[in-house]
Amino acid sequence: MCETILDFFCSLAGALPFECMKLRFMQEAFLGVLLTAPLAAAAGIQVVNFRMSFFSDAIGHSAFAGVALGLIFGISPDWTMPLLALVIGIGIMAMKQRSALSSDTVIGVFFSAVVAFGLALVSRNPNVSRDMQMFLYGDILTVTRSDLFFLFLLFCVFFAFQIFAYNRLNAIGLHEQLARTHRIHTAFYQYVYVALLSLVVIFSVKSAGVLLVTALLIVPAAAARNFSKSSGMMFWISIAIGVCSGIAGLLISAQPWAETASGATIVLCACAVFCVSLLSGALKGKKS
Amino acid sequence: MKDAEQNCCCAGSHAAIRIRNLNVKIGAVSILENVSAEVPRGMCTAVVGPNGAGKTTLTRAILDDIPYRGEIAFGDSSGGYSRKKPRFGYVPQKLNFDRDMPLTVTEFLAGGLVRRPVFFGISGKFRKLCLDYLTEVECGHLAGRSLGALSGGELQRVLLAQALMQNPEILILDEPAAGVDFKGEQLCCELLEKFRRKLGFTQLMISHDLSMVAAHAEHVICINRRVYAEGVPSEVLTSDALSATFGLHMGMVKYDKHGVGCKTCAKQS
Repeated sequence: MCETILDFFCSLAGALPFECMKLRFMQEAFLGVLLTAPLAAAAGIQVVNFRMSFFSDAIGHSAFAGVALGLIFGISPDWTMPLLALVIGIGIMAMKQRSALSSDTVIGVFFSAVVAFGLALVSRNPNVSRDMQMFLYGDILTVTRSDLFFLFLLFCVFFAFQIFAYNRLNAIGLHEQLARTHRIHTAFYQYVYVALLSLVVIFSVKSAGVLLVTALLIVPAAAARNFSKSSGMMFWISIAIGVCSGIAGLLISAQPWAETASGATIVLCACAVFCVSLLSGALKGKKS
Repeated sequence: MKDAEQNCCCAGSHAAIRIRNLNVKIGAVSILENVSAEVPRGMCTAVVGPNGAGKTTLTRAILDDIPYRGEIAFGDSSGGYSRKKPRFGYVPQKLNFDRDMPLTVTEFLAGGLVRRPVFFGISGKFRKLCLDYLTEVECGHLAGRSLGALSGGELQRVLLAQALMQNPEILILDEPAAGVDFKGEQLCCELLEKFRRKLGFTQLMISHDLSMVAAHAEHVICINRRVYAEGVPSEVLTSDALSATFGLHMGMVKYDKHGVGCKTCAKQS
């Protein structure tokens, strides 16, 4: 059943007038981009507005430790990576709420702990370091069918939550105490959001790599922020920029004259849009 | 003045908030010690005291936002007291937020009240409701403006509109007039007066400004870690009580009940 649906969408992608789209792995990568880009761009809105980019960086870096854990226990990293990301994300949130330390200190401590843990485990086994490279740079072309399936599932859950909670998250991001006194269950929304964000980040690591995963989230949202005046507009513009730069980046990276890494090319495209948005922001500033 | 005193006696029997032996410690520092006070129902109560006296802490304890020892009970309509929190409206002292964040005033108001996400558009019905409330606080023209572009006084009034839209039983304001010029302050107080008479909520505000308290409050609580005086302004705002609270010599504040220039009161009397 799933196979037939996948085949159908792949053939749709194959119908695009590009030479490179005739290849099956390109078609699957294209679907991967179509799922990852809007997820990352929409999650990025709150990351940018609530200043959480350091948080998403920490989750991205937990990928190393996730892979290492999988190797120790002989479980596929497809399971250990998201699980560890969830634990770290919720752990940071819980510690932030209970301790007097500032949030960047809390995140910094978790950040170093997971990176050190991952490196320590990898250093014991030199053969593994080659696998680690794959996560450092990421490659959307290696996306598997089960990855696509999980991405689709996450896509549905994440956007259902955004529809349910977008307004509340805005209120909480603006002023937490005010939201709480006006009867919003801040802890519930924060924990669910952080859990979903952790999953989005860790699934995006596969396509953009640990180094660039945060860029995949924040660059479209940051550009959208410059273009838009309202929060509703920012949501759509961010997704549009994410999807367009994702598709453009994938296609450019597959051209014979380019042959660049797809993740990096996608981020470069988004950064180009961001530069344009700076100009538009400057113009807007002059007018008002 | 007689009226005010009578009101106070009636309210004493059944307060909106009853605080008994409240103690708050943050770390090893004691912020509030053995505070007992009452906030009469349906009236304007002011909390006055110097900086660092624990005024904001007191409101945070009432809002159940920090841990405390002691009892805070809320009077219900049947005449009893319970710990069940009533509907609060809250206007914070300062809204420290990211002023570059794209968010219009209407979207901000939708935050806690409307489920439909703003990226699917805001319904005409809710837009109308926002406009009604904003017009009431004389901010109708701000509905489509970006929240970050508002001036201090405008933001204060938008926050007031948001608090009123909660349909509060108790409205708590933390220094409503701080950072607002005299005219803005006068406007703010008159608006609150008008709404309190119309909607019948209990108002609790923190204030630095003793002349404003003298003009608008019907009940005053002087605190500086503990309660130094409590009662109607004419009795509380005396030289003795104020110098005890503020720790320096202060003359009697000129006391005019709902002072000259308060239109709402002028109309009433």
